[in-house]
Order: sequence, then structure tokens, then C-alpha cells
Amino acid sequence: MKSFLHTVYSWLQKAVVVTAALIAPAGAFAAGPPKQSELSNPVAVVMLVVVFGLLLAIALLANVVIGAAKMYLQRYKDANAGTTTKILSVIVFLTFSTAAIAQDAPAAEPVTLIAGLSQVSFYSLLAVILLELVIMIGLLYNLKLLLAKEAALTAATASSAVEAVAEENSWVKWWDKLNSFRPMKEEAKIDLGHNYDGIRELDNRLPPWWLYGFYVTIVFAGIYLWRYHVTHTAPLSGEEYAIAMQKAEAEKEAYLKKSANNVDENTVVLLTDASAMAAGKNVFATNCAACHLADGGGSVGPNLTDDYWLHGGGVKDIFKTIKYGVPEKGMRSWKDDLSPVQIAQVTSYIKSLRGTKPANPKEPQGSLFEESAPGGAAADSAKPKIAALQ
Amino acid sequence: MQVEQFYYDNRTVKNFAYATVLWGIVGMLAGLLVAIQFYLPAASFNFAPTTFGRLRPVHTNAVIFAFVGNCIFAGIYYSLQRLCKARMFSDLLSKIHFWGWQLIIVAAALTLFMGYTTGKEYAELEWPIDIAITLVWVVFGINMFGTILTRRESHLYVAIWFYIATWVTVAMLHIVNSFEIPFSPLKSYSWYAGVQDALVQWWYGHNAVAFFLTTPVLGLMYYFMPKAANRPVYSYRLSIIHFWALIFIYIWAGPHHLLYTALPDWAQSLGTVFSIMLIAPSWGGMLNGLFTLRGAWDKVREDPVLKFMVVAVTCYGMSTFEGPLLSLKNVNAISHFTDWTIAHVHIGAMGWNGFIAFGMLYWMIPRIFGTQLYSKKLATTHFWVGTMGIVLYALPLYWAGFTQAMMWKQFTEEGQLKFQFLETVTHIIPMYITRSVGGLLYVSGVFIMVYNLVKTVKSGSLVADEAAEAAPLPKVIETHGKEYWHRWIERKPVQMLVYSFILVAIGGLLELIPTFLVKSNIPTIASVKPYTPLELQGRDIYIKEGCYTCHSQMVRPFRDEVARYGEYSKAGEFVYDHPFQWGSKRTGPDLARIGGKYPDSWHYNHMFDPSTMSPGSIMPRYPWLMDAKIDTALTPAKIRAMQTLGVPYPVGYDQQANAELMAQANKIKDNLKKDKIETAADAEIVALIAYLQRVGVDIKGEQKAQVASLK
Repeated sequence: MKSFLHTVYSWLQKAVVVTAALIAPAGAFAAGPPKQSELSNPVAVVMLVVVFGLLLAIALLANVVIGAAKMYLQRYKDANAGTTTKILSVIVFLTFSTAAIAQDAPAAEPVTLIAGLSQVSFYSLLAVILLELVIMIGLLYNLKLLLAKEAALTAATASSAVEAVAEENSWVKWWDKLNSFRPMKEEAKIDLGHNYDGIRELDNRLPPWWLYGFYVTIVFAGIYLWRYHVTHTAPLSGEEYAIAMQKAEAEKEAYLKKSANNVDENTVVLLTDASAMAAGKNVFATNCAACHLADGGGSVGPNLTDDYWLHGGGVKDIFKTIKYGVPEKGMRSWKDDLSPVQIAQVTSYIKSLRGTKPANPKEPQGSLFEESAPGGAAADSAKPKIAALQ
Repeated sequence: MQVEQFYYDNRTVKNFAYATVLWGIVGMLAGLLVAIQFYLPAASFNFAPTTFGRLRPVHTNAVIFAFVGNCIFAGIYYSLQRLCKARMFSDLLSKIHFWGWQLIIVAAALTLFMGYTTGKEYAELEWPIDIAITLVWVVFGINMFGTILTRRESHLYVAIWFYIATWVTVAMLHIVNSFEIPFSPLKSYSWYAGVQDALVQWWYGHNAVAFFLTTPVLGLMYYFMPKAANRPVYSYRLSIIHFWALIFIYIWAGPHHLLYTALPDWAQSLGTVFSIMLIAPSWGGMLNGLFTLRGAWDKVREDPVLKFMVVAVTCYGMSTFEGPLLSLKNVNAISHFTDWTIAHVHIGAMGWNGFIAFGMLYWMIPRIFGTQLYSKKLATTHFWVGTMGIVLYALPLYWAGFTQAMMWKQFTEEGQLKFQFLETVTHIIPMYITRSVGGLLYVSGVFIMVYNLVKTVKSGSLVADEAAEAAPLPKVIETHGKEYWHRWIERKPVQMLVYSFILVAIGGLLELIPTFLVKSNIPTIASVKPYTPLELQGRDIYIKEGCYTCHSQMVRPFRDEVARYGEYSKAGEFVYDHPFQWGSKRTGPDLARIGGKYPDSWHYNHMFDPSTMSPGSIMPRYPWLMDAKIDTALTPAKIRAMQTLGVPYPVGYDQQANAELMAQANKIKDNLKKDKIETAADAEIVALIAYLQRVGVDIKGEQKAQVASLK
């Protein structure tokens, strides 16, 4: 019963949200309370302002387009009281665009309401903005088309010879314009008259986008150097590193504070449960076995199964040796590869190897270690007596 | 006006064309083998000459200087004569140029296999070969300028501008970068050290791409593309602007290979911004090529030559857009040291250089043999196989590079690195396998071409001397009406040469001189000391085996790199590194802080068989290091060479160097003995261990000193 009520409640909540969103954008905000915090998010505010600003622009633009369409319709009727399919198609397109306008704005709001400014809402808002931009471009294109048709009509009426406007592929037209291509038939006019082994050269203009792109990259270069080396508002390598390290340290601390992982050489104790031992064994096999052999008998590194230790054989000693390493003796530090808990696990596993019989044991190294107190606390202070290395 | 009769020399063109095909196959097969070694380390055959470290320079040098080099020469010798309406200046020089270049290639391959290398990427060849290259390049220059100066055509076509800029810039780059001090008949040390060496090297390396793989090939495109399409060049204006902008800006962009390294920040920033500004000038060439096909796209559908050229130019556009993107620091932080870069350069090498070469050969060979291409169909098959090869090569590597970089940078919540280096390597092995399949397809395509060209050649006969006629060059070149200002310069090849040289010299000088002269660029670190004689010998083995082809020695200031390798690298650490060994790719981990990380015996076992110390490693075995002996007779000469370069060994140290060398070697020998390893004190492995244990440790002394002074 309870769960049923819960379902109904959440369903209702969703319904309210969706309805509110469908009624009006403003309404959506009013119904927004479930999660208010995201509205105070400056990014969300800015994006919403952009959404509404663009919406306004679209409304204005749509008005102009409709006006132009009406004008065009009038003129067309005057000039040619015949087929109206073209006008119809224009109007259909316009209606479609308006329908799109009507739909796009609300689409964003439920997302904002449900998810807050998570990635989902951010990208949704972004999508809405992009959609609005596309609609604007569409409208502008329509407007241009209408104006061009009007011009063509005027010309046609003037010569009183109504000809169908050659419907050129709009993509090709756009492409030609973009590169400011000259029509192929004008090629002879721009032939420079050069002839190198039959190769001629034309005097075409530089593609405008290319030229302006070039200028943009030059401006970019100026700003880049200015920011990095004059105003110092962008971090150089060293500064960037310091920032990254600070951030990482803060994150790590925050995490360790609330996790059970916060073990160090002062607090570590011998673990005995099977899962810890299994984990320790695994860590040993992948990281330690190369030098100490899989059975701990030692090769490059010392034998870990005997009672002789170079840097102390207590839990805390071993933990410390693994964590910081003993670089001058060839033992590397593992603190950046293994987590504190992993080091504790492998330490405990190593302790468990004591007295096992490895296949090919390395001779003892270091001093005899005696477990004087549980956890080897006493050993930490014990000065290692340098045993003769044979 | 009276018309003169003369003959074009096609024999040299044919020779260079054949050499292109031959060395292309050699270079590509070498590439295929190294690609296979990524997932099959046994493919190095436990044989020194065929290990990755030696074979990779063979591959890069063969493809760049042998395959593309011969292709450029073939194209230039063909087009220059026709664009100048003159036979090549001297048949003898043509012959010397051709045979000299082939001899250099053979010598290069042999010395690289034997391990004689300078250790500087794309400039690995040792000093005698460097001198030979300079001489042959001068011969080529005289031959080219002689032809241009005795031309019958009043103006120089854009292709020739590119040839001239290529010649003068490559000469400058090669000479400056090859400054080295020989200490034996086949070995030398780089004149520059550390940061400065790195800057000079990548100023050279980047512009080897620019002026050996790009400008001359653009020249070829400007000749062969309009010829094959029978269309006028789209825009003369665009040619002018993109040519001058390209050569001026390109030269500055070298430091983008050294982003986040110990190179001074100002130089890094120059590298970035000039790379960005390079987009438009590079694309000018692509646009002029593609727009030239306006009105001829129907031909592209039928003509394999144009197909190759269209894809080539498109690949050129892709590479030259991607390059600047990779020069942005935030992208470079991900892409650098990974396979992303390898994918990027292969779009350029296979797509742009390879396809221009194939298109040119298919067009040119039938013409100089007075016949038709044997089979258009086979050429089209080659085109599709090659294209598929490129796609299959590049895509997996883009994926691999990105994935690996992401894995390197990943931390657990506890703040530990999530992946061991080796895990990130084994993870991308499937991509390495796919890549080699792509390479196999590509080289199979070349074999199809060989068959096709052999059949073509057999169906015709070489027109060794092709008759032509043209009016001689008038004493005074008349101008008709309004002329482009640039026409003036095109009439005067020597001016063209001088202006090109001034333009390319500016960027280089403004970057190199401050790095050499301003002290604050490389802050001194007092604890950094010269290498001991044994370490120096070990370092030479490190260079000889090409360790730098897989291992960097440059910890960048990133959290993950500092966690993985240790303190990030400082400029002052490398002041005695002749040459620098920063590397450009991490197939294995960085070694800048390897010193003291593992015991001597670890290194011994690892070099003998890497998989014992790091299971799953793809590093080849180096068993010969255990038996080979270092040449102690060379030690004094090495020390003296270093002294000449300013390394502060005491006066007369060369004479006591070997005694110190043996003392250090015996220590390592004893150390190994403790771990049950028997070795001779003068074995190469001992020297190598000495060097590896030294790398990156000097700065640790500095840190301790600082702590002490604080107390």
C-alpha cells in the first residue's frame, strides 16, 4: 500500500511538472520548488536568460518573415494569379517553424526541474539554445529566400516575361558563395595568361572564410601570448601543476576523512580475515613477486619467509618499508601505486609467509627480528644490529 | 624568334622513380615488422639489428629520406625541366646526385642496423653520412639552380618556388642540427646539450616534416595535379600568399613538440601560437589543389591518378588541421607520448606523401616510357586497398592513444594511480594488432603497383632523351600592361632564394638565440654533475640500442606523472646531456627518474628477459649486453670530446678515466654477485646499469641540500 501510494505520488509529481512545463515557461519556474538550488546556479541562470533572449529574437524574426511572406504573397498574386503551391510551401514551412518554437522552450524546463543542473540539464539547455539558433538560421534563410524571390519577381514583372526561377541546388549555391567562386563560364575572364608547360593559372579571389580564418588565428595568437606572458591570467606549466596538486590533495583528504581507508604506519594492525589475506596475496603476486618471488623466497629482493629483516619485521615496519621504500637498497616506494588498505593487506600477507618453506630460499639478510609485542611496536624503536652478510 | 631544340633527361627521372618504389617497399616492410613487434616481442629475433630500437630509425629514415626523398627528386627532375623548358643543368651532376643519394641510403641502413646513431630522431645518421648528405645536397642545388638560371621560361612557376624554399631550408636545418664532435670514425656527440639540443632537434625535426615532406611535395602537387586534371590552377593569389606565409610561419612551430617539458615557457607558447597560425597557410595548398579540380570532378571518378591526388590532398588538409590542434597545450597533455602522434604522422606519411608518390608514378612512368598505363583497374584497386589500409592503420591508433592517456591519468579516490604502466600497454594490444593489418594492406597495395608498373614499363621503352623546343629567354623580359607585383620576384630566382632564406631564418634565430644566450632559461642546479666514465659508456649503449624510441626521459609537470615517475624534470638537469634523450613516445615508461628505483640485479634480469621482472612486458630481450664488452680504448677520446663541449671534467681526466671506470664497474659486479649473478666487469650490461642508476638522481642531492640548509 505504502509503495503504491509512493508510486502514485511520484507519478503525480511528474505529471505536475510536465503540465506546468507545457502551460508556460514562467509557470514551470513557479512549479519548480522540488529542487530550488539549481536555479541559483549562475550557469543555469545565464543559460535560461540566453534561452529566453533567443526566444524573443525568434518571435521578432518570425514576425518579420511572416510580414515578408505576406508582402510576397500580395506581389505574387498581382504578378501571376495562378498556382499557389510555392506560397503554400513557404507557409507550411513557416508554420512548422512556429510549431518548433512553440515546442522547444518548454522542452528544457522539465529537465531543469527534475535533474537540477546536472550534466543532463546542462546539455538539454545547451541543446535548446542550439535548436533555437538553428531555427533562427532557418528563419533568416527563409527571409532571404523571400526577399530574393521578391527581387526576382520585380525583375520578372519589369521585363513582363515571367520565367520560372531556376531552382539551383541550395547546397551548391551556399558552397559557391562561401568560397566566393566565380561561375565557370567566366573562367576565361580571370585567366592570367600564364602558361607553364601547359599549366594555366586563374586569378580567383581568396576564399573569404579562409582569409578571415587566417586573421582569426593571428588574433588568437596575440591574445594567447598576451594572457600567458603579459597579464599572466592563464597558468603556465608550473602554476598549472601546483593548482592540480592542490585540488588533488583536497579531494584526497576529503575522501579519506569519510572512508575507512585512512591507515598509516602508526595505526596499522595485523589483518587476519580471509578476504584481506586473499587481497594481500593478490597484491603480492602482481607487484612483489618479480623481486621477492611468488613464494617470498627472494631473488632480487630479500627472503621474506625467514626471521631476518633489513628494515624491521614488525607490521608497522613492513608497512613503512612498502609505503616509502628504501631507495638506496633498491626497494621502491609503493605509496602512489597501492592504497593504504592495500599496503596493510599485503603487509599482513607477508607476515603470514613466516616459516613457510620456499622452493629456493635466499640466504638471510639483516638482523634477527623477534616479535616482542603484538604489531611489532617495540621493533620500531629497536636499533637494527647489522648482522654479518655472508 | 628562333626556336631552340633540346632534350629532356628522362633517364635520371626513371632512376629516381625506381628508387622510390624500391626504398618505399623496404621502408614499409621495416615498418610492418616494427608494428608486429608491438604484440609479438619475439619478432625482434633476439638479434640486435632487428630490435625495435634499431629498426625504428631504419623505418623512419627509409620512408622519409629514401622513399619520399627519391619521390621528390623524381618529381623535381621531371617537372623542373619542363617548367624551365630546359634540360637539367648537368648530366654528370644528375648522376652524382642519384648515385650519391642511394649510397647514403645504403650507408644509413647499414650503420643504423649496426647501432651507429646520434640518438636524435630523424637525424640519427652519424657524422660521415651527415657530411655526405651535405655534399650531395649541394650537388642537387647546383644542378637545380643551374637549370633554373639557364631556363627558357621567363617566370618561375609556383612549384619551383617550393623547390627553392625546400632546398635552402633543408640545407640550413641539416647543417645547424648536425653540429657534432666526432670522437671515432663513426661516432660523435651532439654539439648542443639538454634543453638547447632539444630545441635545435625539434626545430629541425618539425621542419624536416615541413620542408622535406611538405613543401617539395606541394611543389609536386602544383605540377602533377593540374597536369593530370588538365585544369588551370585555381588561384595564383592564393599560391603567393600561402607560399610565403607557409615558409615563414612553419619554421617557428618546432617547440610544439616540447610542450610541458623543461623548455622555457615562452618558447613553448611561440610553438603553440605559430602552429595555430599555420592552419590557414597549410590549407591554402589544399584548397588550391582541390579547387583546381573544379569542373573536373567527373574525371576523378575515372582516373586513379586523380583519385590518389584527391585523397592525398585531403589527408594533407586533415593532418595540417590536426597538427595545430595537437599543439594546444590541453590537447597535447593527452596526445603527447602516445600512439595518437603515431596515427597523426601516418595520415601524413601514408596519405599525403605516399598517395602523391603513387599518383605521380602512375602518371609519369607511362609518359617517360611512351606508353599507356597497363591497367587502370589495378591502379584503382591499389587506391582502395591503400585507402582502407590508412583507415585501418590510423583509427585504432587514435583510439589506443586516447585510451592509454586516459588510463595514465586516472587516480583512485584514495589518490593512487589506478593503473600500472604495463596495464595500460596490454590494454591496447588489440589496437596494435589491427594497426599492423592496416599496414599490411597498405604495403600490399604497393606490390599491386609494382606489378602494374612493371607491365607498363615492359609495354614501352624508355624515352631517355625526350625532344622539346622553345624560344630562348630574351635578354630583357618584357611586361605587358598591368602586372602582379609578385611577377617581378618570379623573374629573379636568386632573389627568390635570398628572400626565402631570410624568411625561414627569422623564426629559427629568434627562438634559438635567446635559448642559448639568456641564462635564466636554464637555471643552474649545483648538484648536477657530469657522468662518470662508466656512466658515459652506458649512456652510449642506451643511445646505440635506441632506448629513446620507446622511453622518454622527461617527467612533465602533471600530477599523474609525478606520482608515477617522481619529481618533474627541470631544465638544469640536462646540461651535460650530449645529446638529450627526452624521447617522443612512451611505449615503455618514462626513465627520467629510473636511477635508484630498482636494484642492479633487477636491471640485469630485466635486460636479459624483461618478462621475468615485469610479466606481460612487450620489451624485447637484450641478451647480447651480457656478453658484449665495452670499448675502454675509446674512453679517453669520449672524455676529451666532452671537455671540448664544455663538460667540466678536470684537466688530464681522460688519462685516469679508465681506472675510475673499472673501479665503479667492479662495485656493480660485486653488487650483482650478492644476488647470485656472475658477470664480467667490462660487460656492456654493467655500464648500462651504471647509467640507468644515475639517471635523474642528481636532483635528489639538491633537494637534500636544500633541506639541510633550512635546518
